[in-house]
Amino acid sequence: MDPLAELKQTFFQECDELLGALEQKLQALDEGSNDPEDVNAAFRAIHSIKGGAGAFGCTELVAFSHVFEASLDHLRSGRVAIEDAPFTLFLRCSDAVADLVAAARNDEPAVERPDLLAALEQVGQELQAEPRAPAAAPADAPPGVAALGNLLAMVEAGSGAAPAAADDGWDDEPAGPAPADVPAAAEARPGRALRLRIAPEADLFRRVIEPRVVLGALPAEDIVAVRCDLSQVPPLESLDVTDCWMRFDVDLHTELSVEELHGRIDFSLGGEEFEIAPAEDEPDLAETAAEPEVPNSVAADLSAILAKLGPAPEARDEAASQPAPAAAAPEPVAAAVPVLRTPPLRAPVNDQSARQRQPVSVRVDLERIDKLMNLVGEIVITQSMLVECVRSLPYDVYAKTAEGILTLSRQTRELQDHVMAVRAQPVKAVFQRMPRLVRELAQTLGKEVRLVLEGENTEVDKTIIEELADPLTHMIRNSMDHGLETPDERAEAGKPREGTIRLIAEHRAGRIVIAVTDDGRGINREKLLAKARSRGLVDDDARLAPEEIDQLIFAAGLSTAEQVSDVSGRGVGMDVVRRNVESLGGRISVDSEPGRGCKFTLALPLTLAVLEGMVIRCGNDRYVIPIASVIETQHLASTPIERLPFGQEVLRWRGEVTPLYRLGEVMGSMGTTDENIVIIAETERGNNVGIAVDEIVGQQQVVVKSLEANYGTVNGASAATILGDGLVALILDIDSMLRLAASGDRVPQSDLKMAG
Amino acid sequence: MTLQIGEKHFSSAQPEAAARRIVTFKVGDRTFGIDVGMVREIKGWQATTPLPHAAPHVRGVLNLRGVILAVYDLRTAIGIGVTEATATHVIVVVDVEDKTAGLLVDSVSDIVDVPVSAVRPAPDLERDEHGLIEGLVLLDTDIVALLDLAAVIRDGGVDAQTRAARAAA
Repeated sequence: MDPLAELKQTFFQECDELLGALEQKLQALDEGSNDPEDVNAAFRAIHSIKGGAGAFGCTELVAFSHVFEASLDHLRSGRVAIEDAPFTLFLRCSDAVADLVAAARNDEPAVERPDLLAALEQVGQELQAEPRAPAAAPADAPPGVAALGNLLAMVEAGSGAAPAAADDGWDDEPAGPAPADVPAAAEARPGRALRLRIAPEADLFRRVIEPRVVLGALPAEDIVAVRCDLSQVPPLESLDVTDCWMRFDVDLHTELSVEELHGRIDFSLGGEEFEIAPAEDEPDLAETAAEPEVPNSVAADLSAILAKLGPAPEARDEAASQPAPAAAAPEPVAAAVPVLRTPPLRAPVNDQSARQRQPVSVRVDLERIDKLMNLVGEIVITQSMLVECVRSLPYDVYAKTAEGILTLSRQTRELQDHVMAVRAQPVKAVFQRMPRLVRELAQTLGKEVRLVLEGENTEVDKTIIEELADPLTHMIRNSMDHGLETPDERAEAGKPREGTIRLIAEHRAGRIVIAVTDDGRGINREKLLAKARSRGLVDDDARLAPEEIDQLIFAAGLSTAEQVSDVSGRGVGMDVVRRNVESLGGRISVDSEPGRGCKFTLALPLTLAVLEGMVIRCGNDRYVIPIASVIETQHLASTPIERLPFGQEVLRWRGEVTPLYRLGEVMGSMGTTDENIVIIAETERGNNVGIAVDEIVGQQQVVVKSLEANYGTVNGASAATILGDGLVALILDIDSMLRLAASGDRVPQSDLKMAG
Repeated sequence: MTLQIGEKHFSSAQPEAAARRIVTFKVGDRTFGIDVGMVREIKGWQATTPLPHAAPHVRGVLNLRGVILAVYDLRTAIGIGVTEATATHVIVVVDVEDKTAGLLVDSVSDIVDVPVSAVRPAPDLERDEHGLIEGLVLLDTDIVALLDLAAVIRDGGVDAQTRAARAAA
């Protein structure tokens, strides 16, 4: 891929993140935040998108974001009070920007939104005597590749074009102190004036050094001014973005000796790339003045950036010792270096700490991580095979080998943890798509809905993230369409007109549990049951508990909506969700309270790749119980067992009556069982159960292998794994096992048994 | 014990234009056949891990170089008992639809080319309630029953379980 196309891809990836930030900030403001920082962050996001879009020639995107940015600027400048601002409109506009970005990415024609544009133009109109043109081609330095747009634009226009540059900047931090105040301060301090000229070789970026690192090595308080000379930069057509053509002049007022300065810089630059001279002999002053290309704004920005680096000396030192931190204007160029591509900023840029300590990171193809992951999986199996082999060695050889194998195990595990961590992502990636869905649905359905997100930073494996979007979309649609009433109905029922949907993610029992709760009318059990009977899903004389009726919502071909709507109601929703979730080794359940609302709970494994398991034996068979489900193990003999009237065995554990199941019976193990051990395990609902087994064989990390791929779902097990001797063991799923046990006791409701 | 399927195993001299190449194997004194294209490999018996509450002819699952697949006892599938598996028994690893499965048989006999015209439709066998037999081929010495593998396997997985659940209800 040529560097520009690659950059464009990076830009679009950044856009996704910027759009997320934009939406999030607007949402916060819409919900009553008065924080001007939110406005600034939103403004910066759209500004960065605009900048990048300009560089890559996405004209529609530029046009729209320009108007959008202008309206936000009214808020930022205080011409429109935050309380009066039309955030609903802004949110719709952010959706429109997302569409434009998607269109640009796919090279599709963009949909024009004259309605939104017109509405945006109105913002602040009446208050404003003479509408000020908002930063037409901003000269400031938004983060990431977007900034490159500005840089390229300046270069292309032969520079001076960086227009009326002193737009007060995207940054609300006073840029003032840097260029103006510093010299004054400097004069008051001891030291002498020095001039540092930096003329790096063109391969600077390829050496993974960026000018900011070099400048960051200087004490920020000693810097009087920084000038950037862009005169060497070739025209855009011939510019190789991996070349550095920038030259810098730094005026210093410092107590450091020339040698000390030399020492601070020479680790990043070659000796011939810079020179330090006393400022008194300033032959280049005229030369500098003769470089009209140097936009003052760039120098001002660099000074401002340096000033910001100032307050935290240790952070600065760190920046100096680590190549390629992010966030400065030249950074996007570094992003083009093929070896190390810096990522876009995640946090709002204005966060001081984020700016000072940008962690270095790399974008990697998911495919490569997957290959790595597979390989690690194979190593884990091989390693446990080795452990088995070594056991049969004579003692003296064994002792030595065992030591090595122990180290290997530890390293393998560490390797695996790290690879897994690389794949982990916060569920935010999925959650942040939901507000838009809710907004659009609310409009279609004529309902008023507030979406509350919690636990967005809960991390799960990439494999799960990808699978979450569909079920969540369905669940939210279902809640909005069937669960929530119209505003009038709600008012009649004495509820607030606005319905609330909560989307909450958390880790529990080694799984990620996501709950979608609404405060709507709850499931209409009579209607649901009647429908199920009419479809022959439930026998007419069957008596179902209310909870069992609720679970019918997951049965195929049922929908209680009176009329089929665009949104849902074709009766494909929840049953499809259930099947998808189960195929991932997850489970979905519903709790409903008539008139009060409904809660769907989705539980999925954190990863589909590996798990920490306890290997147990029952009869001739071995099983793996996920260690995350195990609370405690104890000898069965020391545990008093009682029998309830229906034959259910229970044991007293920590003062609670805990049901006991015999694994051999439930799973139909081969051979005779001799139960010695009871494992206290936790279910997803947070209850405890006792599971009687013969023996605990050991504890190890196991690679999860699908049973569905070549067979089908196995009740009681979520998947299988290969043990050290090459034989297969089932990985038990406690909840599914309990259902299996229960289905043996009474007549199974085949359509219900997976749901609860 | 892995048996490579090579050209030299042919029994009939020249494959005819519209011919099916069939792997034949024995269960007891009966001969069955499947298209050679469906066979991935043939390996000796290896212990399987039983699955809870699976259909009777599902022997369990085994690990084939990191992939887990289910093994079906053909003897049980056709209703003539359970195979007492020993080292001389054979698992025919087959690709059916998008799945890989193992078929436990007594032994593999031959690879034969039969003209399509020689394949007769299966007579409507009352005892073949699951439609396991797709057709019959008359060889000089034997009658080969061509298996519908999808039917053999379909009865093992989820469907069998739901069917069992429904039957219980």
